[in-house]
Amino acid sequence: MVYRISGSVEDFLAHAVEAARKAGEIIRRSFYETKLVEHKGLVDLVTETDKACEELIFSSLKQQYPDHKFIGEETTAACGVTELTDEPTWIVDPLDGTTNFVHGFPFVCVSIGLTIGRIPTVGVVYNPIMDELFTAIHGKGAFLNGKSIKASSQTELVKSLLATEAGTKRDKATLDASTNRINSLLFKVRSLRMSGSCALNLCGIACGRLELFYEVGFGGPWDVAAGAVILTEAGGLVFDPTGKEFDITAQRVAASNGFLKDAFVDALKQSE
Amino acid sequence: MTQKGSLDDFLATAVEAAKQAGEIIRSGFYGAKQVELKGEVDLVTETDKKCEQLIFTFLKEQYPDHKFIGEETAAAGGNIELTNEPTWIVDPIDGTFNFVHGYPLVCVSIGLTIGKIATVGVVYNPIMDELFTAIRGKGAFLNGKPIRVSSQDKLVKSLLAAEVIASHEKSIVDASTNQINSLLFKVRSLRMSGSCAIDLCWIACGRLDLFYLVGFGGPWDVAAGAVIVSEAGGLIFDPSGKDFDITAQRVAASNPLLKEAFVGALQQSE
Repeated sequence: MVYRISGSVEDFLAHAVEAARKAGEIIRRSFYETKLVEHKGLVDLVTETDKACEELIFSSLKQQYPDHKFIGEETTAACGVTELTDEPTWIVDPLDGTTNFVHGFPFVCVSIGLTIGRIPTVGVVYNPIMDELFTAIHGKGAFLNGKSIKASSQTELVKSLLATEAGTKRDKATLDASTNRINSLLFKVRSLRMSGSCALNLCGIACGRLELFYEVGFGGPWDVAAGAVILTEAGGLVFDPTGKEFDITAQRVAASNGFLKDAFVDALKQSE
Repeated sequence: MTQKGSLDDFLATAVEAAKQAGEIIRSGFYGAKQVELKGEVDLVTETDKKCEQLIFTFLKEQYPDHKFIGEETAAAGGNIELTNEPTWIVDPIDGTFNFVHGYPLVCVSIGLTIGKIATVGVVYNPIMDELFTAIRGKGAFLNGKPIRVSSQDKLVKSLLAAEVIASHEKSIVDASTNQINSLLFKVRSLRMSGSCAIDLCWIACGRLDLFYLVGFGGPWDVAAGAVIVSEAGGLIFDPSGKDFDITAQRVAASNPLLKEAFVGALQQSE
């Protein structure tokens, strides 16, 4: 299908970067202050900053691209799920790592992805505290602060760094499944990292800091839309934890560098 | 002018040593990313030893009568006994796996004990350029600004840091994940950074509320962090709630409001 896109992908990226930087300013300013925290669940948090950033990003992009569609974490929480169509769609997490933000833990980011024909095509992830800007356009490589990045060339699971998260569900079934899985994987990898941001985990693989990542039951497509482009463009792989094709709306993701997917999928299967 | 032999003098010297070692780490850090598997382990060991040598030489020059305990020297069969003498306890690179992988949580950790009490602490992350310092009785600082532990008083709103010991022994891994499982029901969330010294410093500056670790390498992982946490108003203790023993390879830390609840949760998690 051919779409008449009003603007080039480079334009889309440039405007997304601008929006991310502006939102990043808001995050940076309030980072070291006391925050007003609301609970979406027992441990699932949202703040004024989340909402302010989403508003800013949406209005900034809507001004440029009034015909595009928008899916945002906070708008979805307030108004319900917007379906992902083939239309150019901005998928935004205004503040990924809200718990980190509340605690002043420096792994927070703005995540802005654009899908066209449901394919993640443009990705921007910006950590304003560490001043790290990850960008990618489908077919045009991935970058960190303008420098080209590549996933690692590690081929052995046992020498790999695995990232995952504790998630926001605290029922016994979920937690038990979660820690049983971690237990099984710990025998097969070098070590485990939990940083609190899905988008930054994907970017971490993209720039070679990590080798493996999986998360199941996270919030929505906004956690992965940008990271998926960035990692793919860095030579990494994004897939369903079963090894099947990645579905951006499924709230399930696994990722690795270009060499470890098969071994990782095996290990994940055995860990259930 | 700082008086030679004063605590301020010890701190200034330790900071200088940490910064020089930090330079070596920084230059190896970005190079390491491109390195093939074959040279990786050697590269790390070289950097660890190089940094430890640099730090020891630097400190020995200033303080020839002091004692020294270092991770790499200990590994090679050197001294690990802690006496009442002023003793520098050094981890030249804490977060070795992170260093190899280019994951930015690495640090130099330099602690000084006097009468077996952790008295001066320097932890320097040269990648994030964060210098944590403390002298007993004189507060704790991050890049020169005073820091304090968090004021969180509820376990369920607390951020817990833990680590997995690099072991594939079933009893260790099982105990570890069982403990994590139990604690996850009681805290807000879990973070694993890969560096014990950094975990302690992040408690000190309020980024984390709780931390525990059992079975880590040695006193070099905690000697500096212990001072920094205490001077930031935090508590450092054995996970059982008893007194902290710098040589026991067991540590827990929190702000004062959370200690009791945390120890309770740790006990129930065993």
